[in-house]
This record gives sequence, C-alpha cells and structure tokens, in this order.
Amino acid sequence: MKRALTIAMLVLLAMPLLYAMSQLPPHGSATSPAYTHISPRYLERGPEEAGAENVVTDVILNYRGFDTNGEVTVIFTSLAAVLAVLLAGRKGDERPVREPAAEPSPPSVVVRFVVRLLGPFVTMFAVYVIINGHVSPGGGFQGGTVFGALVILITVVLGRSVAEKLQPLGVRRILQAAAPLTFVAVGVLGLALFGDYLAFPRDEALAWVRTSWLMVIEIGIGVGGAAIISAIFWQMGGDR
Amino acid sequence: MTASALLVGLIIVPLAGAVLTPVVGGRDGARACGWATLVMVVTSGIAAALVVHVAQVGPFSAYLGGWEPPYGIELRFDEFSASVAIICLLGLLAVVFSLRYAAHELPPVRIGTYYTLLLLNLTGMLGFVVTGDVFNLFVFMEILSLSGYALVAISGERTAEMAAFKYLVMGAVSSLLVLFAIGLLYALTGSLNMADISARLSGAAEAPAMLALALLTTGLMVKAALFPLHVWLPDAHAIAPSPVSALLSGLVVKTGLLGLIRVYQIYYGAKVLDLSALNTVLVWLGAISIVMGAFFAIFQEDIKMMLAYSTISNIGYIVMGLGLASQYGMIGATVHIFNHALIKATLFLGAGAIIYRTGYRNLTDLRGVGRSMPFTTAAISVGAISIVGMPPTAGFLCKWYIALGAVQAGHPVFGVALVFGALFIFVYYIRMVNSFYFQQPVHPEILEVKEAPLSMLVPILILAALCLVMGLLGRIPLSFIEPAVTRLLGTVGG
Repeated sequence: MKRALTIAMLVLLAMPLLYAMSQLPPHGSATSPAYTHISPRYLERGPEEAGAENVVTDVILNYRGFDTNGEVTVIFTSLAAVLAVLLAGRKGDERPVREPAAEPSPPSVVVRFVVRLLGPFVTMFAVYVIINGHVSPGGGFQGGTVFGALVILITVVLGRSVAEKLQPLGVRRILQAAAPLTFVAVGVLGLALFGDYLAFPRDEALAWVRTSWLMVIEIGIGVGGAAIISAIFWQMGGDR
Repeated sequence: MTASALLVGLIIVPLAGAVLTPVVGGRDGARACGWATLVMVVTSGIAAALVVHVAQVGPFSAYLGGWEPPYGIELRFDEFSASVAIICLLGLLAVVFSLRYAAHELPPVRIGTYYTLLLLNLTGMLGFVVTGDVFNLFVFMEILSLSGYALVAISGERTAEMAAFKYLVMGAVSSLLVLFAIGLLYALTGSLNMADISARLSGAAEAPAMLALALLTTGLMVKAALFPLHVWLPDAHAIAPSPVSALLSGLVVKTGLLGLIRVYQIYYGAKVLDLSALNTVLVWLGAISIVMGAFFAIFQEDIKMMLAYSTISNIGYIVMGLGLASQYGMIGATVHIFNHALIKATLFLGAGAIIYRTGYRNLTDLRGVGRSMPFTTAAISVGAISIVGMPPTAGFLCKWYIALGAVQAGHPVFGVALVFGALFIFVYYIRMVNSFYFQQPVHPEILEVKEAPLSMLVPILILAALCLVMGLLGRIPLSFIEPAVTRLLGTVGG
C-alpha cells in the first residue's frame, strides 16, 4: 500500500516535471540561449583573454573563478565536517579504538613491490594531469584526486606511517587549506595589482603571468585536494 | 579602499580566517576562539562600512576577476544585503559565547574544528546574501548547509547525530531542487547573473519558468523550515550546542527567506509569470506555520525545543509578510528577519547559559532559576516580551507592519491569524517566565548556582539591550529597507 502510494506520488510529480522539460529549448539546437548568450564569448575569446587553451579551465578558473574558490571551500568544509563527526567522540565515553582484529596479514611481497614501483609513475601522471589541465581535460581537481588515491593505496599496502611521511604533521593543516589559500593569495594579488579580486593581467605582453597564475591555482587545488582526500581516509581509520 | 574591494573582503576575510583556524588554533580551543573573534571583529567592521555605504549611495556591485556580468560573477550589495550586519553581530557574539560553552560541552579535540565550522558557516551566509549570481548563490548555500549539518552533530551525542542526519537528508534534497532550478534558468536564458536572468526571462517559455520557480521556492522553504517542510528543524535546533542553535535559528533559516527575496527580484522583474497564486500559497502556509509552531511549542517541556518551535512560528510571520506582497507586509517581514535574529539569539544564548550553569533543560527542573541567575533570566524575559510582540520591543513594530500589510493587501483575516498566533506565543513564554520566577524550585540546589560567566553574560545582555533599542528605534530599519521594497514591488506594476 505504502509502496503503491509512493509510486503514485512520484508519477504525479513527474508529470509536471516532464511537461516543463518538454517546453525547454530543444537540446543541441544552435539557437538555444545556452549556446547563444554568454558561451560564444567564452569559446571565441577564452584562450586569448583568459589564459588557458582549454576553455573549461578558462571558465572555472578565470571567468567564474570565484565559484571555484567557493567549491574548494566546500571541499575543505567537508573535511571539517568529517572531523567534527569522527574525531574521538564525547568525553567520558571514548569510542573503543578499533584495533584491527588481528594485524591483517601483510600484503605479499609482490603487491608491495608493485605499489612501490608504481608510486613515481602515478605521481608523475598526477602532475601531468594538473599541469596539462591547461590544454586538455584535467586540472587540479583531477590530478589531486589521482595523487590522493596513491596516498590511500600506500596507506593500505605499506601502512599509514609510510603514507603519512608524504605529509609531515607540521605542514599538514596548511596543505589541507592549500586550495582556498591559493585562491585567496592570487585573488588578493589581483585586487592589489589590477583592482579586482581574482583579476588576471589582461595585457597581451603579460600572457605568461596570466598562465603562470592559473598554474599556481591548479597546483594549489591539486595539493589541497590530495591532502583532504587522504585526511578523510585516515580519519575513517581512527585517530592518531 | 573602494566599496567593491570591501565587498569582496566581507567574504574573503572570514573564508581565509576559517581555513586558517586549524593552522592558528591547532587543538587549543581558547586560541582558536581568540582567532575567530579577531576574524569576526574585522568582518563586522567591513559589514558596518558596507551598510553605511549602501545607505548613502544605494546598491552597488563588485565584478569578480574584472569580468563584467553576465560573463563573470557579480557581487551585489543592496538594502536586503544589509542583513550582513546582523550576521556579523550574531556571529561575533556566538563566537565569544562559545569560549566557555564549547570547552564545557564539546569533546576537547573537536573544539578547533568547531570554530572552523562556525566561521565557514558565517562565510557561507555572508556570501549567500551578497552574491548576484545564482550559481554562486548555490555554492555559498552548500558551504553554509554542510557546515550547519556538522555543527549540529559536533557534540557527538547519539541524538545529535540523528538530528544532523535528518537535517542532512532534508537539506540535501532541497539543495538538489535549487540546483535543478538553476539548470532550468540557465537553459531558458543562457545566463547565471540574477539581473540578466530577470531581463531575459520575459521571453522564455512559461512552463519551465514556472517549474524553476516552484523548485526554487520549495528548496528554499525547506531551508527556511516553513510548514510543512519544517520537520527537520525542532530536533536540529534544540539539540545543537546553544551558540549554534542561536546561529541556526537566528540566521541560517533566514537565508532561505533572503533567497526567496532574490527569487522575487528575478521573477517580479521578469514579468513572465503572475506570482499571485504562489503568494496565496505562501500566505496560507505562513499562517499555518504561525499557529502550528505556537501550538506545538506550548506542549514542550524542553526549553530549547520550545524555542525551536517558536522559530517555525516566526518564519511563518515572515513568509506571510512576503507573500502578502504589499508594501507594509514586505517591510515588516524584512525587518522581522533582522529582529527575530536578535530576539532568538538572545533566547538561545540565554537558555544555553542556564543549561551551562544548571545542567537542566526542562522547565520543571528549571523552576526558581530566576533567583540565582537574575541577569540571564532578565535578558530571556526581554527576549520573550519581544517575541510576543509587545511594544516597545523589537518584535512589535514588524508584526504590526505585517498586520497592516494584511489589511493593505485586502486580507484582514490573516491579520487575525497573526494576532491569534501571538496570543499562543504569549501563553508559552508566560509559562517559561512563570517557572523561572514564580514557582517553587524542584531542585533546591538550583538556588545556589552562580550567574553565567562574563564571556556568556555580556553577549546575552548586549542582545537583550538591542531587543529594546530596536523597539525604540524601530523606524530606522523600516525606513532603511523601504526604498528596496518599493523598487521590488514597483516592478510588479500595481
């Protein structure tokens, strides 16, 4: 009964949604406002005025860089939220520290060797993805995730103490805040030099400055993303 | 310092402050609190300068990255954005209040994270209120929602985690609705800038525009906890740490309403739809919220639960005022957003101080606390009188204006609902004041507790004083917001 009612409700709700969707400008039509209003400028002038060959990078880091500034803050917030929920519970009833039932049998020599062997290559790929975000799909978010995945892999196979060496405790909190901080730094620099927050030099002669600032932001996003992914993963394994 | 640079600073200062809190404070709660206070003092200074500026020259913008809209993101500061003043004020007082409260109520290792999340939450609200871009609005909504969920759960008690989970599920669905609506608006207009959408929406197909409006309203009203979308609120607001309750009840639910004002700005300007049907629904739901919230509040024993239900009533007042779409109603509603934030923060912080000292939260257990904590209970009483809406307190003028608005809109019956609701509210606040002062204590030791420490008492007394001052100087916010409301309603054309 309850299920039937739910289905009926969903169907009832779907009808106006579907009707409204059918009235939207047809998908892929060249005359739809989504293709004729602001996107032509991004496509035509993006690479020269915004600083990256990849138009997507132009939009997310330059034209709408402030959104991305907010998004990296959302990611930072997610880390803070995980810490708020998982850091050792309320005083008094310390949650039982979950010691692994027995030390899990260490992965075989082959696995350990392969992970060690892969490490440098995965790192190189991460760096490539971050830097290449300029000209092809990729960028800080993706590259950071690739590197974060490597940290998780090392944690699982070689142990957390090995993985944690990649992010020394002293700088770990800075690394986690790297993405928003990079944005703020570049943004304030733009404000000081060119009068607007996150403004990049527009002058053709300064194209290299523009490109290198974008690169700095990409690297900041990558470092911050990797640090946050590994921190969340470690936190799920208990406090240190 | 130009106005646009200040406008950016209003968001960037607390944002940078938030992400640096773990670096500066580590796990030392007092240092994190000091840092957060510093950040909020600077931010409050910026907010004050901006409000003065908007009063002098009217609305102004900042173009981020120097890209003019619609190509880039625009921050827009108008009279409605002046609510940043109350956000900063409550934020600052909540941070100061937390110094002793957090050390007492939270697991020590989480205190640093607590201040980080508080600052992030405030950043999200400030950004939400000043942005002129719908996607940017969504980004800030996510920052404030996500930090809000975590702040509810942070005490680590089972009930808190459950309440946060309920809040998270409802909140995530509402965010999704808003995001979907933004997608529809983009498909219709090819733009994300609010003013530009408004200008381009007039030629758009009606059905998707209507759907986007419906989704935006529903999504934002979940955030605002309008009946019947309020089910997450009582638990979340009652169980959260008291300074967080003050922020959630005073401010976070209001972002849903300020978001609704932005939606009105877009749709009234576009003239694509007749909004009177939506307004009728909102007025009715507002009226039901007033009565239901007050009705449930009467049966609450837990003092914070009672305050949480009273928030639902007050959201009802504001939504009703907005839905009436008359000059008086809208002015009253907008000013009530501000005044209710003051009042509810007084009450929640006061309740927090009492719980901190006595350890009790039920009205029966708290009998007689008025004798041992005279200042705190006096402040709560001022808050209670204000929320009922008795002159000369902050609550009176806005409710009076909303009632006038009901008459002006030709629906005096809603004015009656409003008075009826106020009567209900009067009943349960009298119950509270009665048990504080006039009943025999159940627990004799309650007469021995000390008055709240200064770091708690000062914020409470400042807020209580403001409740009175805003009642006496009530004309100032009313005349401040008037041009904005006239502009908004002027676009309706009659």
